[in-house]
Amino acid sequence: MNLKWRVGIILGLIAASVWALFPRTVVERVKRNGEFVYDTVRRVPLKRGLDLQGGMHLALEVDESKGHVADKSKAIDNALKVVRNRIDEFGVSEPVVQKAGNDRIIVELPGIDDPRRAQDVVQKSAFLEFQITDKTQALEKALPRLDALLKNTKVAANAPTTGGKKDTTNAGLQSLFTADTSKKADTSRTDTTNAAAGTTGGPGAFSKLVRPPAVDQSGQMPGEYYVAQSDVGLVTQYLSMPDVQAALPPAKVIRWSSDTLSYGGTIYRPLYVLDAKPIITGEFLTDAKPNTSPTEGNIVQFTMNNEGARRFRTETSRHIKDYMAIVLDQRVMGRPPIIQSAIGANGQITMGGKDLQAAQDLALVLRAGSLPVPLKIADVTQIGASLGKDSIHKGITAGIIAVALVVVIMLGYYRFSGALAVAALALYLLYTLAALAWFSAVLTLPGLAGFVLSIGIAVDANVLIFERIREELAHGKTVRTAIDEGFRHAMSAIVDSNVSTALTAAVLYQYGTGPVRGFAVTLLAGIAASMISAIFVVRTFYMLWLNRSREAQQALSI
Amino acid sequence: MLRILHDTNYDFIRWWKVMAGITVAFILLGLGSLAIKPPNYSIEFTGGTLMQLEFTQPPDVGEIRSALDDAGIHGAEIQQFGSNRDFTVRAQNPSQVAAQAKGAENIAVTIEAVLKKKFGENSFKAGRTEAVGPRVGQELKRGAIVAILLSFLITLVYLSIRFEWRFATAAVIATSHDVFTTIAFLKLMHLEISLTVVAGLLTVLGYSLNDTIIIFDRVRENLRKGRKETLYETLNRSINETLPRSVLTHATAFAATLALLFFAGEVIRPFAWVMAFGIVTGTFSSIYVAAPVLIWIERKWPRKTGARQSSSTATPTSRTRRSPATATR
Repeated sequence: MNLKWRVGIILGLIAASVWALFPRTVVERVKRNGEFVYDTVRRVPLKRGLDLQGGMHLALEVDESKGHVADKSKAIDNALKVVRNRIDEFGVSEPVVQKAGNDRIIVELPGIDDPRRAQDVVQKSAFLEFQITDKTQALEKALPRLDALLKNTKVAANAPTTGGKKDTTNAGLQSLFTADTSKKADTSRTDTTNAAAGTTGGPGAFSKLVRPPAVDQSGQMPGEYYVAQSDVGLVTQYLSMPDVQAALPPAKVIRWSSDTLSYGGTIYRPLYVLDAKPIITGEFLTDAKPNTSPTEGNIVQFTMNNEGARRFRTETSRHIKDYMAIVLDQRVMGRPPIIQSAIGANGQITMGGKDLQAAQDLALVLRAGSLPVPLKIADVTQIGASLGKDSIHKGITAGIIAVALVVVIMLGYYRFSGALAVAALALYLLYTLAALAWFSAVLTLPGLAGFVLSIGIAVDANVLIFERIREELAHGKTVRTAIDEGFRHAMSAIVDSNVSTALTAAVLYQYGTGPVRGFAVTLLAGIAASMISAIFVVRTFYMLWLNRSREAQQALSI
Repeated sequence: MLRILHDTNYDFIRWWKVMAGITVAFILLGLGSLAIKPPNYSIEFTGGTLMQLEFTQPPDVGEIRSALDDAGIHGAEIQQFGSNRDFTVRAQNPSQVAAQAKGAENIAVTIEAVLKKKFGENSFKAGRTEAVGPRVGQELKRGAIVAILLSFLITLVYLSIRFEWRFATAAVIATSHDVFTTIAFLKLMHLEISLTVVAGLLTVLGYSLNDTIIIFDRVRENLRKGRKETLYETLNRSINETLPRSVLTHATAFAATLALLFFAGEVIRPFAWVMAFGIVTGTFSSIYVAAPVLIWIERKWPRKTGARQSSSTATPTSRTRRSPATATR
């Protein structure tokens, strides 16, 4: 191969690697003041495993202690949707919820470090309720009380966490309100804006954050309020305070929506005030399936058993023209539909223009919700974030020391040629990390250890080549021939040893889990990078050097 | 040019009986110790709960134990882990594992609750919690064994293609030897067998195999040269010729391992120990297991005298060719 091409390829690989590793801006949910907020962070695009960034790993299985489950795979499919729905409540960035094998669900929650929360995922029963939205403006009536309460108690987390931005000025908060503020139920801050209470119902601590939908929006319904997504954490926190809970309107419950919606460029999560007593619960539901109606678009049809049908008919006939929220695990599923007429055994939920997938999902959730599969935790691992950071720090220290030791050995023994190997080692490190970033491989603690170890082993190919060159020189060959022959003879040993190691790594990948899999990936990336750097890069360095100087061809420092 | 062990001519293989004695004794010591007391498996394999607790004040281990005993968690192993404020608590009794069949988090939640009650709400932080139900552990154990056996099989096939079956078998036997010595080492060092340690073991196997392959590659090359010498001599020559490479590579690999051992923290330390021992046993087995086994196989099932292997007609191995070994075929 032409020397220019070789240099070009090496430079190209360096450029690609640097690009792959260049810190980039990503939007992440980060924990701040105990709440999750969106924030932009700039970081190297290397994925860290749970053991390095902290978080929780769960494996869930069907709990058969309360009865045999015939079709576990199907049961797990149903449970998956419920679990995913619950995980959304955690507010974790990049959660993983997936089916593993036939009868297990794997859940990964980066950043969560409280093992007790794991129990929430499985121990809440999937509970389905139909509840009527509040028509009495109970929350509006309670607002002055709530605002006063929050003012008095001087909430600790007073500063609203609006998307990680610091400038949560009053103007910013005011902009949360629409023209029609008559039904405002906000939880805004305890500040001077309380004075402006007047018609707005008092933009106090609570009332400021929660607002009804814009009046011009079609299908405005009683009991529905919007909260900017960035304020959800704060409002949740307010709502969980015992004093606030005591002051909430009696016989009403407040539930978040499972969906968010975008309005005027801001993401909102609807909040619903519902009659506490459900008109019916999912225990009577026998089936639910998605369908498409020519007039109403996508719908979900559900079937109740006899008793459920009777109750449902009675209740819905009393609530015609009211809005009925479908609440699963205390989350309102979709926008509550209006009750057009009494519903009996067979009801339907119109999806409001959503696609068939959404209808399928809801049907699955309804079935799962009404027929909950008891789940148990088969396996849980939780790593604190500080421990993860500490591991990274120690791993990097060990890596630097390993590099330093290897550099000393190589330079001390092979001198100039050793320097070439050291340069190749630097490229090896760069290429390996870039390969990990490029393939979005997850870097785990064993992976990090494997990477450090590979620093010591990566130079093996160079050692093999150098020893061969020395032998050829000892046989009286010229420098150029010795280098050519050295590379040629060392090749079979390098290929055979690396391929067999790669095969072992592949087996590890296939049979390993989590951290060990990360180890195998690092090993594979390392083998590929070390072959490139030791064989191709060092060879090119020699060629460049031989071309540069005449004396180079007389004696080789090796 | 700095050279070490250059142009040596040691008769390495002559010592194989002594070395075999040493390694067999070591393995027997390890296995005997295993027979008396089974190895420590990590909770990943047995099921159970491990918590790594970081206290704000150095706690009294006795108090931790009595608090756990009062809560019905008996026989939990409490160990210092790094500084005197860091401790690990391991509960992996069969009864505790059984309790986790209902839900793996049970024991962990109890431990945290009783210790908070005893030492105060903010007296410690759980840096790491691992809780594994019995079934997951069983599956992992099977997975680890399958992984090791499968990697042997694949290696055997690959080397049979690249070399030939005699070399492949000798290499795999040498590598199996390393599995046994490493298990003995783990036992004698009281290291816990965890998933990371299994990964370490597989890395050792890869490393040892590497080393054997480098020597066998040289043997293959020397055989092609058709020198008038026995396989015994060829093996010795090849080991000597690759000696500088061996020293250098083991030195750099060992340097990286030492960095891991001393600087990478407690979690990685068992892995680093396995690797450190692996470098030793891998080197040893390439010379004292792979080579004698190859000679032995060659004697029992000699290669056909090909154009390239004309040299082997002069080997003592080929002299026995027409004797019992062939007769058994």
